[in-house]
Amino acid sequence: MDTTMEKESRPSWDNPMQFVLACVSYAVGLGNVWRFPYLCQMHGGGGFMIPYLIMLFVEGIPLFYMELAIGQKMRLGSIGAWSAISPYLGGLGIASVVTSLYLCLYYNVINAWSFWYLFHSFQAVLPWSDCPVNSNRTAYLEECEVATPTQYFFFRETLNISSSIDENGGVHMGLALCLLLAWLIVYLFIVKGVKSTGKVVYFTATFPYVVLIIYLIRGVTLHGALNGVKYMFTPKMEQLANPQTWINAATQIFFSLGLGFGSLIAFASYNHHNNNFENQAITVSLINSGTSIFASIVTFSIYGFKATFNYESCLERMRLLLMNTFELAEDTVHIDNISFWITDLNRTQPEQIAAIASRIETCSLEAELDTAVEGTGLAFIVYSEAIKNMPAAQLWSVLYFFMLLLLGMGSMLGNVTAIITPLRDFKVLAHSLSNETLNGLVCLFCLLLGFGFTTRSGNYWFTMFNEYGATFSLLFIVLLEIVTVSYIYGLKRFEKDIEDMLGRRPNWYWKIMWVAVSPLLLISLFVFYILNYIQGGAPTYQAWDKDVVREELTQIRLGLRSDSEISCVNLLLLSAVKLLSVIPVLILIVF
Amino acid sequence: MWTVWTVWMVWMVCLVPTTSEALCTEDDGYKVRLSIKTALGGDAYEWNESEMFFFKATLAFAMRTYSGGEQYDVSNILVCDETLRVSFVFVVTKPSNTSELVPRTEVENAIKKSRHRINSAFLLTDQTLDFVGINPTLAAPIQYDTPPWLIAFGVVMGLVCAGIVALLVSTFLNKKRSKKSADEEEAGRGNGILCESIRGKDGLFNQGLVDDDRLTKL
Repeated sequence: MDTTMEKESRPSWDNPMQFVLACVSYAVGLGNVWRFPYLCQMHGGGGFMIPYLIMLFVEGIPLFYMELAIGQKMRLGSIGAWSAISPYLGGLGIASVVTSLYLCLYYNVINAWSFWYLFHSFQAVLPWSDCPVNSNRTAYLEECEVATPTQYFFFRETLNISSSIDENGGVHMGLALCLLLAWLIVYLFIVKGVKSTGKVVYFTATFPYVVLIIYLIRGVTLHGALNGVKYMFTPKMEQLANPQTWINAATQIFFSLGLGFGSLIAFASYNHHNNNFENQAITVSLINSGTSIFASIVTFSIYGFKATFNYESCLERMRLLLMNTFELAEDTVHIDNISFWITDLNRTQPEQIAAIASRIETCSLEAELDTAVEGTGLAFIVYSEAIKNMPAAQLWSVLYFFMLLLLGMGSMLGNVTAIITPLRDFKVLAHSLSNETLNGLVCLFCLLLGFGFTTRSGNYWFTMFNEYGATFSLLFIVLLEIVTVSYIYGLKRFEKDIEDMLGRRPNWYWKIMWVAVSPLLLISLFVFYILNYIQGGAPTYQAWDKDVVREELTQIRLGLRSDSEISCVNLLLLSAVKLLSVIPVLILIVF
Repeated sequence: MWTVWTVWMVWMVCLVPTTSEALCTEDDGYKVRLSIKTALGGDAYEWNESEMFFFKATLAFAMRTYSGGEQYDVSNILVCDETLRVSFVFVVTKPSNTSELVPRTEVENAIKKSRHRINSAFLLTDQTLDFVGINPTLAAPIQYDTPPWLIAFGVVMGLVCAGIVALLVSTFLNKKRSKKSADEEEAGRGNGILCESIRGKDGLFNQGLVDDDRLTKL
């Protein structure tokens, strides 16, 4: 076997199935589980499907198709591919790589949290089900008493969160270990490039569905689950008139498919020249959206269970209050006739009712269902609260966090591949470093920087990166991509390339989308984001206030505070946060 | 003399209950609430005189245990303000002097010490058998020698490291093996025949270039 020839030929997927599963594994990630159900709830339940599906067909699938086409045609990572299209566009590829780098830095921290929760599920009593007791065992810890045990476990024991982004605190050793493990696993999966990735995606793409089906069956059989599902699917059509609904639908499709990071280009570059990526693009996009809808059914049945549980606990508390205050026999007050009793007692003994008025709560199922949560709050607080009340909670906990891990790891594979593929395309690097060494160095670099997210203020940095780091630049990148392909490279040439690969020209539908509709949509999204950014002022984040034991909206302040000094490093970092989204754009323009 | 005695008897008969009633106040004792139906549902027992007797006996037991053998009896436990809720107030009198009350703190400590026994006697829990003002001592957190999460972490970490080492070693070995076979090939470039095999000969006899041909000489 000729070893020099081996080095020249590009590695490829063992079969097209691996490529499809890799794309599915990358696209189906945590956002499908924690962002889509929230949007569904905020924008009118079943009615949200309409803008969502419209955006999928108008924006999502055409852009996905385009990225796959470019990757498969150029057979290079994002930097090489865009440089090949036009020498002035090398910056576009670099911007993609930088954005992927940002994502790699903070995304694996979520996997570290999932590992932490997963390992803590192997206990007789789940640690987030009860508050810890104080030193003389008379009461629970105050911070936990005011918040809930699940919130306490997340903010205090997992993150050991400080009060603001300025207070750094030390590194949380347990989380740092979990982050190390997460990066070792990523390295294990990508160490041999697509050869190892291709085998891993069989598992990471399919097992989450197994867990989702199990959870669906468990979820809909829970007491009160149908309340949640009914709530979700009752469409509130008036939300369709709200422009925010359409903007959120477009943004969700955009980010859910992972466009603009260069991962899709990287994955497609390992395909055979004649791979039928058109069908694959449609398949993967539909699977991604289908998974979002499927996951939101599961989420809403869990919501329904939790809301019903809280509602019934509230009623039980009221029943006890009435019984104890008025010395009523136990079987006279039921949870059904509480309101009757209150009105009756208000009439007969108003002074006593007034005395306990501060403790009387109005229990409402709708109010419980209305509490919409997204993001890490949903995944780690709401879900774990629901799980702790299920029978055989440890089993469900292990399954759930294992699923979160697989979803997160699958997306990480794409993110890291988006960085190493362009790097490997540089001949200098490819010849001086072996595959394993280069991959190891990238992982090590991301790991070391990632330790910053395991400090006490790490969650705030995470929020900053998550909300402001990539969103803005990605829109710009993809807008430039579509404009380049449609106008600079030329639609005719692109059509010919596709005919070359697939044996047929793309439909008129695709052409209209690429030339007109998608760019217009992206421009309007981009304008909206700029307006929002200008109006919004300083970036804000939810800070955990230890005294009030609640999250409060806090602004990043660059001024000096009376009680703490901001070190130079922090100042630089805070400025960097503001510039985060702008750096790739600057690179783009400079190159 | 007889009338004085009768009056004194009547007075005693009337006064003693009132005396014991006067003793039994919530300030000097504790209020108890039982939520039997909430705790036991269908298996709930009826609260009646016998159950009350049992409760008094249990409290007397708690006082005996705490005081180290002082002969508390059922008659030392005075109960009043019984309601349909199944709540009442009780006070504990000293066995030596039934008109003197045991201080509240002592009663509280006694109950705290035997709380679990009292709960189990009535098949209830800290929440369903409520002594108003006596907070239940919460269960001590389980102490582990090694936190269980660390064990799970160690297992997974070990497997992952083993996997990485195995992959890297196998790649390294593969490279060495293919390099060795490449070296061997290098030595025999040409038409694939190793030098060793033709070292001793002058050349290879090639049939195609034989000069003499018996048939074509014309």
